Amino acid sequence: MKQSVEKSKVKAKRCENKYKNFAIASVLILIVPLWARFIPGNLIHMDIVNVMALAGIYSCAVIGLNLLIGYAGQISLGHAAFFGIGAYSVAILSTRYPGFPAWLGIIIGAIISCAISWIVGKPVLKLKGHYLAMATLGLGEIGFIFFREATGITKGTVGIIAIPPLSIFGIVIDSDFKIFYVVWITVLLLMLFSMNLIKSRFGRALRALHSSEIAAEAAGVNTSKYKTVVFVMSAVFTAVGGGLFAVFQRYVNPESFHFSVSILFITMVVVGGLGNLWGAVIGSIIITFLPSIISALPYWFPFMPESLTNFGNYTLVLYGILLIVFMIFMPKGIAYALEISYSSALRGMKRIRDRISAMRYTKRK
Amino acid sequence: MSGNGNNELLKVEHVTKLFGGLAAVNDVSFTVNSGEIKGLIGPNGAGKTTLFDLITGIQRPTSGKVYFKGIDVVGMRPDEITSLGMVRTFQTIKIFEGMSVIENVMVGRHSRTRTGLFSSGFLLPRSRKEELETFEHSMRILEMLGLETRAFDAGTNLPYGQQRLLELARALACEPEMLLLDEPAAGLNPYETQELTQLLERIKSDGVTLLVVEHNMGLVMNISDEVIVLDYGEIIARGAPEEVQNDPKVIEAYLGSGIGNAKG
Repeated sequence: MKQSVEKSKVKAKRCENKYKNFAIASVLILIVPLWARFIPGNLIHMDIVNVMALAGIYSCAVIGLNLLIGYAGQISLGHAAFFGIGAYSVAILSTRYPGFPAWLGIIIGAIISCAISWIVGKPVLKLKGHYLAMATLGLGEIGFIFFREATGITKGTVGIIAIPPLSIFGIVIDSDFKIFYVVWITVLLLMLFSMNLIKSRFGRALRALHSSEIAAEAAGVNTSKYKTVVFVMSAVFTAVGGGLFAVFQRYVNPESFHFSVSILFITMVVVGGLGNLWGAVIGSIIITFLPSIISALPYWFPFMPESLTNFGNYTLVLYGILLIVFMIFMPKGIAYALEISYSSALRGMKRIRDRISAMRYTKRK
Repeated sequence: MSGNGNNELLKVEHVTKLFGGLAAVNDVSFTVNSGEIKGLIGPNGAGKTTLFDLITGIQRPTSGKVYFKGIDVVGMRPDEITSLGMVRTFQTIKIFEGMSVIENVMVGRHSRTRTGLFSSGFLLPRSRKEELETFEHSMRILEMLGLETRAFDAGTNLPYGQQRLLELARALACEPEMLLLDEPAAGLNPYETQELTQLLERIKSDGVTLLVVEHNMGLVMNISDEVIVLDYGEIIARGAPEEVQNDPKVIEAYLGSGIGNAKG
């Protein structure tokens, strides 16, 4: 028993370490707007704070989707629909009823997504296998067609313009700087929630059923319930992201919720790292910056022929290629590679330190 | 409820499972009394694992009834049956990948703990307390099986024999009243089998009832109070180990007919 108490301490230490890393990462992210404003825009030809805010919005969806794909092993091809439900809830409510608080719109969007994902997930997730992918493929398509064709509610392809900004405790969130903080604090809260979840009874059940559904059931896990709950949770996270998207863009149209956006989310999950929570955030940031980098290329390399630098129209092709390349060569994603290089860097530093102290020791002799 | 005394823990009544026209399990009936170790043997393909699947809810019998503690468990989900206190292990080891040894055991505590989505996500005090209890209980089980030094290693990195033990640990973490072990000694060396025998005796003395499928005759004959022999989905013999060993039908099933006197 004494030994196991020792081990509990080891484990508690590990948990502290987890929160330390979380704190470091939070600070790194939250100081971005502070240094980004000192970089002249005509040097890099992109607005870092703006793109980072968008990356944060996608992160909400991708964290949820990562729980579903990376931990529960289920694939959703229709998360763009939940993203759209979140965005349109805010857009419709706050343009139809002036003075309607946008944050309440975000909550309503989350509730609607919760209900729809439960209705779809409940019967489908009773089955073993990848039936959820098929069901959500249909759901995504229905969502897109609804956003485009229900012109009475969604204004169709024209979209809804002039969405009033979000206001929290009387503060109007009307600049990229302010929305950056609203978005990233939301992301960090979702991260914290997910981190706690994954290390708990709930998270263990998810990881267990990912590995073997039959063995998880034999161990007492109601697998269909857990798969449904995590699907609903990912839909809610995504709807929150969608709601923030509406108050960030202040304009929504159906194109932002096309099937390709579902694929975009999956690409972010895979590039970041399946089953790696920070991977979701890293993947979102990298993939969101990609189009901006591509469109900035002609400015960065003016001496190169235009045919080489101007491939902005091929971003979707690029996502596909990334998805394939990562699946083949880096199935654990960038986050894993970073972790490895970080720990080997630490080891390298330690080796250098040891060598220096050894040198000192011999000199003294 | 069948009124045959409180001693009867598991009662299997006329259970049949058809795959197309083939009866994998054919009209099998037996009972397991509280506190005993029952051995289930039979040649490969006799239907032992299918019978386990039928009892634990992984497959549904074509006809027949299964009662556990007097409760009809046919049609219940496997996890519900596990929470009732009847837990099984698998012939092919199913260790959860990407999880440490201790986490594997902690999954086994699932049905005995209650922390839900929100209390674990928001790290409420209740969930932290339960998490610590889960951890300590799992650690005690690992200590009992001598795996405590590997607690933080990846479960799939353990050697084969220890993986078998880990499966047993996960099942024990449910605090079962009845354990169904599917070939617990498969792939173990003689020394490990010896240790397993002692372990099963100890589990029995802790008040757990056992139903054991096993090919290792030494082990089965050693520990079982009663042995059931299955062949082609039907029970061909039952009784005390030494009786069954000498039963000509059993010898025929294992060795084929015509060499009935070749038993060793």
